[in-house]
Amino acid sequence: MADIALYHWEPNANSGKPMLALAEKGVQWDSHYTDLLNFDQHKPAYLAMNPQGTIPVMTHGDLVLTESTAMMEYVDEAFAGPALMPSDPRDRWRVRWWMKFMDQWLGPSFSMIGWSMFVGPSVRQKDPAELEAAIERIPLPERRVAWRKAISGNFSEEEMAESRRRVAEGVRLLEEELGKRPYVGSNQYTLADINIFNSTYSLPLGQPDLAGPDKTPNIMAWLKRIYDRPAVTEVWAMGRTDLAKRVTAMMEML
Amino acid sequence: MTAILYHGEPNAASFSVLAALAESGLEIECRAIDLLAGERHTIPGLSEPLARDMSIEGEGPVLVIDGEAMSDAVFLAQYLDDAAGGCGLQPSVAYAHWEMMMWCRQLTERLAPAAAYIGTLAHAQRKLAAIGADGFAKLAGTIAAEDLRARWQDLHDGTVDAAKVEDSRAKVAQFAQRAEDRLADGREWLMGDFSIADLETYGWMAGMRALEAEAFAGKPKLHAWFARIEARPSVQAALARATTDKPQNSWAPGPEINRWG
Repeated sequence: MADIALYHWEPNANSGKPMLALAEKGVQWDSHYTDLLNFDQHKPAYLAMNPQGTIPVMTHGDLVLTESTAMMEYVDEAFAGPALMPSDPRDRWRVRWWMKFMDQWLGPSFSMIGWSMFVGPSVRQKDPAELEAAIERIPLPERRVAWRKAISGNFSEEEMAESRRRVAEGVRLLEEELGKRPYVGSNQYTLADINIFNSTYSLPLGQPDLAGPDKTPNIMAWLKRIYDRPAVTEVWAMGRTDLAKRVTAMMEML
Repeated sequence: MTAILYHGEPNAASFSVLAALAESGLEIECRAIDLLAGERHTIPGLSEPLARDMSIEGEGPVLVIDGEAMSDAVFLAQYLDDAAGGCGLQPSVAYAHWEMMMWCRQLTERLAPAAAYIGTLAHAQRKLAAIGADGFAKLAGTIAAEDLRARWQDLHDGTVDAAKVEDSRAKVAQFAQRAEDRLADGREWLMGDFSIADLETYGWMAGMRALEAEAFAGKPKLHAWFARIEARPSVQAALARATTDKPQNSWAPGPEINRWG
């Protein structure tokens, strides 16, 4: 048994961040697949580790870590292997800035669209009483609201339009950024690339009106560089849902 | 390299960066701007305005280096610490560093939007409403980000969302409790050693002590911590830049309250 364990869902969005960072570092870790669609993250044993009930959680010996972006910085600092943060202070600032832009502005819009199209429909057929009991166990009130919305499909046209606007704007800004440098925020592959890749790896498939070889050549070249990394192949082999199938289709496109 | 720090009154995000700069000992020119007059959006000489325009924290300070706008107080403070070769603002042990970043992440996502909502309604709304329609349209026209502009517009129009007020009050109370709990073991600073977490927490909480007094009642550890922070020379240096009696009442539109999960 490794000293490091990760409780994660699919190699996607927040779960994918530490998975990929650990793989890049060459760290061995025990995988605990935590099924978001089965509300595993709100069960007592999980809540005992992370009272907020968010995925992922990492343990390193007796230490427990949450918040996937800060967790990645820990992975980079605590383990040997290639540096995943630049050394120049301004580059470090830029990497952190882009991660926050993804985590707190663009990511929630991707997430709202993803939850309305994938997470909601995936759990909707479960027994309503069971679903209600599962929602009641969610510790954070804003997550309870999100789950109720996803299950009922009760998204307003206004909020979906705002999410689509932000995705379009975010993709435009990312394309512009990748025209300045080969990687997000710096000239080397960093945590910002890992972070943003985990929410944009299938963008040209999901949003062909926004991203593709003609519309976003910089993003396409950047995606290809990341797809070529062995760590990505290794981590994607751990996927269990249809999300992973999108990667095969993407690889054919690149 | 030319560097200029454009900052508001020493409160919220502007406070933490001014205090971090004093801690770092770096010589960077500081220029005070009136955030509530929209002056952040007309900073001259920006060749790369992205981080000013799309900053998650709203009207925070902007450090301009060689034409590139740098924003978001926690990362600016980390930048200053890095640029100074480590001035003690960030723990050097990986786990303690993670704890600080995790604290700041949850603070910027939960406490900061709440404090900004309450603070702007109490201290900025009337001033903005006093600007005539033409003047406000001109100001709003300089704001690049649509969602930030919408927060300015709501404030100007006096649009108040009761659910957001209630949610914000709860979040301020939760974070005050969280800080009190953190200090329960008798530690001097939130992360053990002094760090950016102390500056950020102080910056966003200072003005809440009067507006949300109930949230701070019966929290002796937190009050003692406020006194320790205020005794620090870097904090006194930051507060000495105030041009008003009560910089903790200076607010401008801040981060957005979570719109999804």
